[in-house]
Order: sequence, then structure tokens, then C-alpha cells
Amino acid sequence: MTARGVALVVDDSRVNRLVLVRHLAGLGLEAMEAENGAEALELLRATPSAFDLVLLDVLMPELDGYETLAAMKADDGLRHVPVLVVSGVEELDSVVRCIELGATDYLTKPINPRILEARIGASLAAKHLRDLELEYLEQQRLLTETIERQKTELSRFLSPQVARLISSPEGEQMLAGHRRQITVAFCDLRGFTSFAEQADPEELLGVLGEYHRMIGDAIVEHGGTLEHFAGDGVMVFFNDPVPQDDHVERAVRMAITMRERFAVLSDAWHKRGYELGFGVGIAVGYATLGRIGFEGRYDYGAIGNVVILASRLSSQAGPNQILLSQRAIAMVEGMVEVESVGELTLKGMSRPVAASNVVGVH
Amino acid sequence: MTVRYERDEPVSEPETPILDETVLADLGASVNDDRSFVVELIEAFLSDGAQQVTAIDAAHAAGDAEALVRPAHTLKSSSATVGAMRLSATARDLEMRGRSGALPDDTAARVERLHADWNASSEALRTWVSGGER
Repeated sequence: MTARGVALVVDDSRVNRLVLVRHLAGLGLEAMEAENGAEALELLRATPSAFDLVLLDVLMPELDGYETLAAMKADDGLRHVPVLVVSGVEELDSVVRCIELGATDYLTKPINPRILEARIGASLAAKHLRDLELEYLEQQRLLTETIERQKTELSRFLSPQVARLISSPEGEQMLAGHRRQITVAFCDLRGFTSFAEQADPEELLGVLGEYHRMIGDAIVEHGGTLEHFAGDGVMVFFNDPVPQDDHVERAVRMAITMRERFAVLSDAWHKRGYELGFGVGIAVGYATLGRIGFEGRYDYGAIGNVVILASRLSSQAGPNQILLSQRAIAMVEGMVEVESVGELTLKGMSRPVAASNVVGVH
Repeated sequence: MTVRYERDEPVSEPETPILDETVLADLGASVNDDRSFVVELIEAFLSDGAQQVTAIDAAHAAGDAEALVRPAHTLKSSSATVGAMRLSATARDLEMRGRSGALPDDTAARVERLHADWNASSEALRTWVSGGER
């Protein structure tokens, strides 16, 4: 038979302990014994979860009942273990003091088995509820911890915005697909293909690493959602999954930041004999956003003409050019200084497209 | 019951029995008439009680009121558990004296009384154990 619980009997009198242990056994409780408060605390602290109940005498050597009770209540691990104070009938003052110190209930000597049973039943029920609550809180904590860890891990692979989206309540709906106006920025390097042919693989990875770090920082600073990296090409969009009223402006400012920082990097590369330029294409329009891919490998992606347009503009951009589509220019008019590059014939586009290079921001 | 107010006998009235066998009977009944448990308890009492009497003697000899409290308290409670009611009353009286912080002159007589009660209770308990009374 499994015991209903484990009680710790704390009393300096062996006679009293024998009686209590015997009664507890009759009630289906296992009992451990301590001769004084110090011994009791040692046992309790060694395995706090092992005890469901403490029967505590008041007058004891070493550490008396009051001190023991106070120490238990000051200990996070023991605070919730119910304590029944066992005392003589004529010591009601001490009982009051014990209740004030946090004792659950009291029993008077000589022990009446019926009263003992009733008090123990009530204490164990309370303890059981408390244990369930603690267990639930622990599960909750583990779950939260797991989710947080997954978010951290995810954010290493995905944009922080996408990582947050996945673990948010509206995540499923957003991932399933939705349409929204976004600003897309495509960035890539001019002269990367010939550089890749000449450079050692280590050198190539080193240069790409510096470039990606610079790009990554600028994306985060401006709140962009990184869709993907592909070699030197990077696609970033704005206004999704987090809505941003100033999405075009953010994209432009991000591109300018990148262009400035790229200049510092390219100076250093130039000294090592590498000639690399940086170009950006930015377009605004409606896209379908959500989970794209197949079971086993999904990305959070955007599909639509706006993506193609930004990509084509990026291909057309000369070194250090940031090309804006007509619509993007209209949306940041007055904020950005631009120079027209005329109408461009873009691959896959039936009509020529007007575009402008960003000179700076006002 | 007539309550007498003799100066020397404020607590442990002669009417208080040396051994209240109904206590032992109740104790037995509460453990499904397991007589061996009651016997075990009496033996524990006889061995530990002797130590408490010794501790009370030592505290009294040293005039240490505080040191008297705990053994007297324990003896009071454990003797009541096995039905040694007169011993329990005398032990209680000594506990109270200890708690008051000073030991009055007649404490020696009280300690002597404790010894008498202890001897009589031990005797009665041993008789109960060997007599197989229930």
C-alpha cells in the first residue's frame, strides 16, 4: 500500500513520538522522527519535497517549536509544508503564537486519534492542492522556457520579426497567407561574380562575412524583415509581419546606411585588390505573404510583382546606386532627394519602367 | 471531589491516582488493542523518564530554574500519556516553578515528592505490564 503521505514528527519525548508515529501509521501515513527542531530542519532541507506534513512540539532542546516554525516559514522550499503544532492543553498562548507564525493548525496532548485524523486530512488536502499548483506552475515554467528557447533558436535562422510571429497567437493565420502592401529592397554586389572566380574560398567567405554582418546590422536597425540571403544577394521587406506606416522611408534609410557603410568596407577591399560595388533596388506594392515552401523546409516569404520589380531594379543599379520605383518615389516625396535615371527596360517587364537614384535624405 | 487547599499539596492531590488504568485502556483501544505497543510505550517511558528525573535533580541541585523546565515539561506530558497522573501533576508543578524563574525553598520537598511519585508509578506500570491487565 502506498502511504497517503509522509509526516515528520518532531518531539523530544520518545514516548510522544511513539504515540504519534503509531497513530499516523493507523491513518496510512509514513512517519519520520526528529528529536528537536535543528534535526527536523536538517531532514526537511535535505529533501523538502519528501514531506507532506510536520507535527511539531513546542518545547524542545536545541531549537524549539517557535524557532523551527519561523525558520520553515523563512525558507522558500519549506514554507508550504503544513505544520501542526502539538502542545499541552494549558499552553494555548503558545498555540496562538504558533498560528501567528504560520502554523496550519494545532493538536493538544494527549493525542486524540479522531481529532488527529481530521486535522491531518484537512492539512493533506491543502498540501495536495498546493502541490498540484506547484506542479502546474513548474510545467508552465518549462513550457515557457521551451518556447523562449525556440524563439531564440528561431531568431538565429529567421528574422526576429518572423521568429516572434511564429510564436504569437495570430501566427498561424499570418503564416497561412495574407496580402499586404510592402516595400521590398534587394541588395547585391557589383563585380561579385568575377571576384568569386579570382578569390580564394577563404577570402571569399571572409569578404561575404563582413558584408553580411554590415547588411544584417542595418536591417535590424531599420526594422526590416530579412527574407533571404543568397550569396551576395539579400532581400528585405518592410511593413510585414510588423506593420510600419513609414515602410518606404525605412527601406530608403536602410539602403543609405548600407551604402555609407559599404564605402568603408570597399575601401579596405580595394587595398586588397578587390573591386566591388553595391547596388539596391526598392519597390512598393501588394504582395502575398506567408509560409512558402514544402514540408520540411518552409520560408516566410513574399510573392508578387513588387518583388520582381525590386529585384530587377537592383540588377540594373550601377555601383552605389539605390534605384527607387516610381511609386516608391511618390510615397517619400519631399523626404528624399532623388535624381532620375530615365526609363529602364527590365527583364520580364513589358513596358519600360521609370526609376530614380537616391542622392540623400532631407 | 473535594478540593483541599493544603499548603504543601497545591497540585498533586492525594486523590490523583498513581496510575489511571483507563488511560492505558484508552490508549490500547486507539491502537486496535495492540497490547505490545502499550508495553513498548511504557518501557520507553520508564527508560526516558528516569533520565528526566535525573535531569530535574541536577537542575534543582544547581538551583537552575530554567534548566528545570524542559525535563519537567517532558515528564509531565509523557507520564500523562501512560496514565501516571500523580507524577504528571508533580512534574507540572515543578515545570511552573522553573518557568517562574526562581525556585522557592520548598522545591526540595517537591523534588522529593517527584521521586516518590516516580517510584510508585514505575512500580504500578511494571505490575500492569507483568500482570497482563488490560
